[in-house]
Amino acid sequence: MDLGAASTGAGEYAELLEFDMDMDGFASNWAYCDRVSTYFARMISHNRSDSLLYSNLFSSALNELLETVYRLHAPSGRFVCSVARKAASERIVLTVPVDARTAEFYRGAVRVLNEGDVASRYHNALFTDGPLQPNIGLLELAVDYAARFSIEPADGNAIRLIADLKLEESDA
Amino acid sequence: MIADTLVQTYKVSFDDNNQEFALSGSLRPERGAEMEACIRLLETSIASIRGTFYINVKRLVRLNNVAFHALAGALLKAADERPDVKISIITSSVIGWSTKKFGTLTAKNPRIVVEEYDSEFYPGQSFLEEGGFVPVLRTQTKLTWKHERSILPRHGLTPGVTMADICCGIGDFAVLVAKEFAPSRIVALDHSKSSLAYARQVASEFDIGGIEYIYGDAAEMLLEDGQFDFVSCRHALQIFNKPEMIVSELVRICKPGGRVYVSNEKISQCLGEPRGPSIQWTYEQLSKLFADFDMDLEFGPKSYQALQKAGLEDIRIESFMVTNRDGDAQAFADMVMAWEEMFAGGMCEKRGDDAAFVEKFRRGFEDHIAAALHPGGYAGWPVWVASGRKPL
Repeated sequence: MDLGAASTGAGEYAELLEFDMDMDGFASNWAYCDRVSTYFARMISHNRSDSLLYSNLFSSALNELLETVYRLHAPSGRFVCSVARKAASERIVLTVPVDARTAEFYRGAVRVLNEGDVASRYHNALFTDGPLQPNIGLLELAVDYAARFSIEPADGNAIRLIADLKLEESDA
Repeated sequence: MIADTLVQTYKVSFDDNNQEFALSGSLRPERGAEMEACIRLLETSIASIRGTFYINVKRLVRLNNVAFHALAGALLKAADERPDVKISIITSSVIGWSTKKFGTLTAKNPRIVVEEYDSEFYPGQSFLEEGGFVPVLRTQTKLTWKHERSILPRHGLTPGVTMADICCGIGDFAVLVAKEFAPSRIVALDHSKSSLAYARQVASEFDIGGIEYIYGDAAEMLLEDGQFDFVSCRHALQIFNKPEMIVSELVRICKPGGRVYVSNEKISQCLGEPRGPSIQWTYEQLSKLFADFDMDLEFGPKSYQALQKAGLEDIRIESFMVTNRDGDAQAFADMVMAWEEMFAGGMCEKRGDDAAFVEKFRRGFEDHIAAALHPGGYAGWPVWVASGRKPL
């Protein structure tokens, strides 16, 4: 696993932190989702107005994205997670190796998120009797964290999932 | 690299006396089946209670959707099966996500309610945190800093340490420490959002970076164990009704080998001449007034024992007297004037004191002010500082 600062291609966003790892390595241990999201949250939150609150929120949001990737990816390839900042906004960019099935999942999920009526979809998904829908984390970010999602193709068989978050509303 | 210590497990417990099921820590399972033991305890707990079932998630820092889905299913099932029971989920705004997340349950079943407990933080102290008290807090820190800046190194504060200032109030002590001692990190925590907003505004106006102002309850902090070399808590144990809870938290977040530093007053020992007896009477009454609001302004000399009971070693204690002869008699007088307004005004009124008492009570403050400004006068306010080392 590499951790460091690198270009995110995020335009006006300034890069903060990036890690990359072989997908099969990342997917070998569920606890990586928690560890990576907690580590990232700590590292980027210290200069927000309430670092502890921000860290809790960011860790929760990033963890849901990482859990989604953990479950839905192509068996091999490079997984990259980067975070960039522009003022009060944070941009999470996940480069995920995909096959035809998982590529369709991510494209379909982002399409749904941009269709509207996301809150009711999310609340229905939360209380479903069966297993959790695989897009539950993305729905939560869109509803509870007002995340805006986009998706674009990346080099090789990969997609780049982009989530813009604004977790800090005021100084109070 | 990412250390294993970052992974936190969760704790679950049921207190049948309080009918309270408590979850804390980090709950991010891969599969719902991993929640089986937790759900079983939840179900047996609900089956054993009558009336209101409390679910305390104030210290549940992380919860993924897998865990929430399992918990929500069990709670909705219980609410359906036990129409005689109200389920009250206690969240904390310090966590950020939990009130909204658990609030979705109320929409599914109105007998599941969510209460954010932070609004009940220390209601007895509200009159100490209103905007009008900010100038006197600044003046107090200015006056005590003349002494503490030379005292602090004897209690272990050195440049480059990681430090937490708990119950930081308006944050001015953290700013002074940042300038004088350049710690590598300062976290300043308080339960007053208005004080923190003021602290952030001051830090921004004076372009002071690097202080993390955090909202939280000093008696139940979410800061992790063993993070800080130096943990300070000034003039705060004396205004909490359970100071030992806070001391325990100060010790918890201190690194082994690090030091916990507290300062407190013994307000009845405030003195002045001329008119010593009048001044002495008023400050003795002030001590009783605070006691009536469950605050112990006599705590100063008790600091030694409080640190000892918390298991600290190499305990050091000393006192200093802030006086009108420290170089700013007017600041001393301004501070006492503000005390008079705050205590003889707001607090006496709340206690229901009669006019004759208030008049005599005020006279002692006015005599203290007169002593401070008198060409030959002497006025003093004693403060005790104590520190102890956390065993390795």
